[in-house]
Amino acid sequence: MSQQLSKQRQLITLTNPRSPVSEAFRALRTNIDFSSVDERIQVIMVTSSGPEEGKSTVSGNLAASYALSDKKVLLIDADLRKPTAHKTFTLSNRYGLSSLLSQQVDIEDAIQDSNVPNLSIMTSGPIPPNPAEMMASNRMTAVIQELRQRYDVIIIDTPPLLAVTDAQIVASKSDGVIMVVSYGKVKRDIAIKAKANLDRVGARMLGVVLNNVKRKASEGYYYYYYGN
Amino acid sequence: MSSQELDLRDYFRIVQKRLWLIVSIVVVMCAIAGVYSLYIKKPVYEASTKIIVNQTPTQSTVAQLDLNQINTNIQLINTYKEIIKTPAILDVVTKEYPQFNVTTEELMKKVNVSSVNNTQVMTLVVRDNSYSRAAEIVNAISLVFKQEIPSLFNVQNVSILNEAKVNPPIAPGPVEPNVVLNMAIAFIVSLMIGLGISFLLEYMDDTLKTEADIEQYLGLPTLAMITRVGQDEFTKGAGAETQALPSRRAGELENVTAAK
Repeated sequence: MSQQLSKQRQLITLTNPRSPVSEAFRALRTNIDFSSVDERIQVIMVTSSGPEEGKSTVSGNLAASYALSDKKVLLIDADLRKPTAHKTFTLSNRYGLSSLLSQQVDIEDAIQDSNVPNLSIMTSGPIPPNPAEMMASNRMTAVIQELRQRYDVIIIDTPPLLAVTDAQIVASKSDGVIMVVSYGKVKRDIAIKAKANLDRVGARMLGVVLNNVKRKASEGYYYYYYGN
Repeated sequence: MSSQELDLRDYFRIVQKRLWLIVSIVVVMCAIAGVYSLYIKKPVYEASTKIIVNQTPTQSTVAQLDLNQINTNIQLINTYKEIIKTPAILDVVTKEYPQFNVTTEELMKKVNVSSVNNTQVMTLVVRDNSYSRAAEIVNAISLVFKQEIPSLFNVQNVSILNEAKVNPPIAPGPVEPNVVLNMAIAFIVSLMIGLGISFLLEYMDDTLKTEADIEQYLGLPTLAMITRVGQDEFTKGAGAETQALPSRRAGELENVTAAK
């Protein structure tokens, strides 16, 4: 049981909004909002070059952070290979993005409410044999177009860039892309290659989130003492 | 914002980061050096005799010191130094003193001859694992040398100034191993190796770590730096506005896995 608890994913922006990490996510939200003046950044894709750099954590916390600022937010788990959103928000994964794209359910049925106000979740759905084709389908474009009408912010969690092509496809349908880079884990040439993959599909790079930074190396530490 | 040049703080940071590596290398190397010097390496003792090279008065027509003669003797010492270390002398020693049970080659390694500049004195030093044996050997060599030199040079101009005491009242300490010196060398060498490895690892590490790295290699801004979160931190210091997720109910996990 204890191991299950420790493995359980939690969103720090919800459980501890006053921590410096939550503050960092609020800063991320602000930086995204201000990264574009003329265009509205509505569909934000989160990806990384390799696996386990914190895409799902960043997308989940970012979505929660937007929701807490009274925006209507949808988090889509487009990682159809290793989905996690249903675990993070303890939701059923019976229906989700894959069932919506394969026309088994309607949009309403693919979206579930989370226990956070304003935050809706579209889980991955059952893992399909052909995730890349699903992402590239016209149906996917239409779904995103439809969702734009319903939500203020849509955050899409995707598989790693260098492993599969899914993220590249989704990037072309998004307004902005955030690349998560795990501190001291990603080599320069790997990161450059990942960025080149995004550039090739004309993705709009908003910037990088440096994740897993060591406490000492971060200025965010000082938030602890500010305003407490 | 070039990261090519390291400033002093970076050096400190690199050292601090791999302090454990450096300290463990130093400790291990010093321990090895200490154990080796104290327990493994056999101690080596040194015994010496002094030999004076001078014409005996019988051979000289004038019984007084002659500068020329002295100079000749000083020159001769260089020749003698070489002669002592040849089989011409050492073969005789091994033959006449079978109790040492050494070969000529072994003896050659043990013997060292030196002379102080512009004196007629030369010093014969023998190193051995036992002091008394070293003293016996050095005495034997001096004696043989003194006996043999007239047959080689046809002159009787060598006399032994002092012999090594085989059983001195105060036992001399070993000259080798020098534990303190060995430890000091081990410390400095291992410290240099440790620092070298640290800087090499740092140099080889081409992962992205700072905003400057990301700007330089990707040309992208860093939107946020998210620190590593400890398990306790998810709830520690949580304020009243906390909206904790409900705890997982039994059976819900099956929902999750069934969907796969």
